[in-house]
Amino acid sequence: MPASDFLAILRTLNEYGVEFIVVGGVGAVLQGAPISTFDLDVVHSRSIENAGRLLAALRALDAYYRIQPERRLRPSASHLVSAGHQLLMTCYGPLDLLGMIGHSHGYESLAVDAIQVEAGAGVHIQVLGLERLIAVKTETAGEKDLAALPILRKTLEEQKKRRSKPLL
Amino acid sequence: MEEQPREAPGPQEYSEDGVDLTMIRWMLSLTPAQRLDALQGFVSSVLEIRAQNAGL
Repeated sequence: MPASDFLAILRTLNEYGVEFIVVGGVGAVLQGAPISTFDLDVVHSRSIENAGRLLAALRALDAYYRIQPERRLRPSASHLVSAGHQLLMTCYGPLDLLGMIGHSHGYESLAVDAIQVEAGAGVHIQVLGLERLIAVKTETAGEKDLAALPILRKTLEEQKKRRSKPLL
Repeated sequence: MEEQPREAPGPQEYSEDGVDLTMIRWMLSLTPAQRLDALQGFVSSVLEIRAQNAGL
């Protein structure tokens, strides 16, 4: 597996003007949840224009499908405008491009609950807010999500407690 | 049997369902960039250990 660098992937997506929202484990960590993950999950806009920008970014990231790494199969524009999941390996580690998550939530539907975050070194990104992330994960919770959900819920509670504390 | 002194009530360490609240509070004390850095450090360490033990 190539050395992992989440920030480098995010920076590359930004440099190519890709519209995306970070979801999943990295999104939860950015909001304070103490969980671990090895891949970066993003939901991207499936417009034709964005698919073009995303394809260019994926070329720069040398992205190919993880399912048969020896064949180095690369996604096409038609894959990127679909609702499916593209599970890729890049020169900076695994990247999952998700057309839709949960019960058919796409970029436009999730964008209303996204927050702006500086992920480091001046890289500003959109991240799905913790409350909505929990709601989406609860819809289709697999084993991995079921393990993480109690931690996400407690993180949200602690976040709310901090925000409601009066400033002295 | 002597009664043990009760601990003064303070912030809980674990929630009722076993979640370590001290880790959450520590993560929330960091900036988002520092949180990503912490995750990145963890992932890099695990991958390095994995590579060093590839034969296992």
